Amino acid sequence: MRELGPNEILFILAAVRWTLLLSLVAFIGGALGGLLIALARTSELKWLRLLANGYIKLFQGTPLLMQLFLAFFVPGLFGWSVDPWMAAAIGLSLHASAFLGEIWRGAIEVVPRGQWEAATSLGLRYWPKMALVIAPQAVRIAIPPTIGFLVQLIKGTSLASIIGFVELTRAAQVINNATFRPFTIFALVAVVYYIICRPLSAYSKRMEQKLQVAAR
Amino acid sequence: MSLFKSICRRSLGALVFAGLAAASLGAPANAATPEEIKARGKLIVGLLTDYPPFGGTDAQQQPAGYDADVAKLMAKSLGVQAELVPVTGPNRIPYLLTNKVDVLIATFGITAERSKQVLFSNPYSTLTIYVLAPKNLTIKTPEDLKSVSISVARASTQDTAISAIAPQGTQLKRFDDDATALQALISGQVQAMGASNTILAQLNKDYAQLNMEPKLTLREQANGMAFRKSDTALAAYANNFIAEIEKNGELSAINQRWFGIPLNKLPPMPTF
Amino acid sequence: MSYEFDFADVFAAWPELLQGLLNTLWLSAAAMAIGMVVSVAGALGKTSGPKWLRWIIDEYIELIRNTPFLIQIFMIYFGLPSMGLKFSSNTAALIALVVNVGAYGIEIIRAGIESIQKGQVEAGKSLGMRPLQIFRYIILKPAIQAVYPSLTSQFILLMLNTSVCSAIAASELTAVAGDIQSRTFRSFEVYFIVTCMYLGLSIFFWTAFAGIERSFLRKPTR
Repeated sequence: MRELGPNEILFILAAVRWTLLLSLVAFIGGALGGLLIALARTSELKWLRLLANGYIKLFQGTPLLMQLFLAFFVPGLFGWSVDPWMAAAIGLSLHASAFLGEIWRGAIEVVPRGQWEAATSLGLRYWPKMALVIAPQAVRIAIPPTIGFLVQLIKGTSLASIIGFVELTRAAQVINNATFRPFTIFALVAVVYYIICRPLSAYSKRMEQKLQVAAR
Repeated sequence: MSLFKSICRRSLGALVFAGLAAASLGAPANAATPEEIKARGKLIVGLLTDYPPFGGTDAQQQPAGYDADVAKLMAKSLGVQAELVPVTGPNRIPYLLTNKVDVLIATFGITAERSKQVLFSNPYSTLTIYVLAPKNLTIKTPEDLKSVSISVARASTQDTAISAIAPQGTQLKRFDDDATALQALISGQVQAMGASNTILAQLNKDYAQLNMEPKLTLREQANGMAFRKSDTALAAYANNFIAEIEKNGELSAINQRWFGIPLNKLPPMPTF
Repeated sequence: MSYEFDFADVFAAWPELLQGLLNTLWLSAAAMAIGMVVSVAGALGKTSGPKWLRWIIDEYIELIRNTPFLIQIFMIYFGLPSMGLKFSSNTAALIALVVNVGAYGIEIIRAGIESIQKGQVEAGKSLGMRPLQIFRYIILKPAIQAVYPSLTSQFILLMLNTSVCSAIAASELTAVAGDIQSRTFRSFEVYFIVTCMYLGLSIFFWTAFAGIERSFLRKPTR
């Protein structure tokens, strides 16, 4: 057994970069996927709406833990080798796509119908209408819940530990396996997550309140 | 009523979807032969990192231990680099079967059930597994396990062995790995633990106040390297390799390094 | 080598899977019910409690919302015994789920309560309603109506979170999956089936929540 010394603490803290990087990659992947899902969900084509809805239900209706597990092992069945890092990035991106897609659909639908009709009567086609009229209004509404979901995503990266990706939580487990100081170690990890997530939560809350005041 | 119908209809839809998805899976994967490994230049080995001294980590958090040393020695004999991939008890077979690793050198006990899934080499290490409990708890026969709470690592040989002998009423708590199962024992969440002599040594060194002792000897476990069923050439290579390092004393040196004693004779290959 | 699928061993374990499903269902339902009580009580404390109570509730919410559930459950199961508080796996899992969902539920119900206009309460008083009646019919019911979608999606997330409870050996569906896997080594088959079972549970809860909304929340109060 090893002592819980500065080296061990440093190892845990250094793993924060993997938590942050994984969150960032999953957020970018999820944003791209989520954009497609949101557009498909608000599309005029019924089959596209149904398809996007099925995707959302599938990912919102199964545990993230299972999604990560399957993201890790399913590619292997087809002979594609993915390491835990790739699997976690793919799994979390797919997961985030569903949630961000649903959040952004909500934001798009909040834009009053009259805006769509006005844009159409100005002769704008789908893409210019989306980009110039709808999106700028939807983005403002979407920011608070998007940041809120980012907090969920950062916390969700802790489950990547279960498929063996060494991020913050897994680093803590590895050190705990060698030192057996669970209370100290997990409290430390909780504090680190808190320091990362709290400012984001606070920002999201403040933005939301601002929007509410503006809407009154 | 309509609520119930609606639930049934939707659930049926999910089942049909699941069936379709299951049917669409299934695809070829690749084998590993000694030649392919030499051409590739590296041997990918799955090993435990939560099971010192067989599979632990060093100060740089790299895999280190008896298994890691055997893995490096085998890579050296193939003339390639060893890539060490940490696996856990529950996920080691999936790692092997989905071609994430070429071989498991992961303190993997040779059992009849496992032989249905993987191809074992001859034994290269051995350990004894017990039910460990405090001195003041009376456990003399498996019957005494009744109403005792015991932690084990899920999917480990001690899990199987205790499940087989424990009477009704035994509270068997399965955790993801040995470290968590040990944690449950130390924090007092369970009274006993199914574990090996290595865990016992660790407990007596660091937690002498718990007064742990072996109560029931579950089995002498012979550990083998594990390969995919089709990789017979690689398994044959491993058998030659194990015989060679046992004979030339290199395996005994590894045992000396991690356990402080030279290696006894390796057990014979179990027959089922 | 090619991976050959074999679902037979997994299907053979259906009694265990069913038991795991029922345990997950029970654990989720119990956590939802207790979580609802905690959320309503917390929301009341936050909207009309004394300052120190509001401060405590705020800190609790922030602490839980900004740390991962896996860490919370480890702390409750492995950490608290060192302070003399020991719970069985299943109790620790239930406590962790309630503590977690409460932090979200309080904020959701509070938002619902704040959406109710003061005049409504005054109207209730002038009609001679008792305080409990006012709370039940004029505050709580419309508040829940207003935030019903957020509340139910939070409950679905709670149900999905129960899968993490296998980490402390709680007996639920994911733990059963682990046990079957350790016997049959059919990992993909097991996790695939279990994922579908979770989807089934979600569909069950979605439908049930929609049913509850139709039967109890949409009808005008008698």
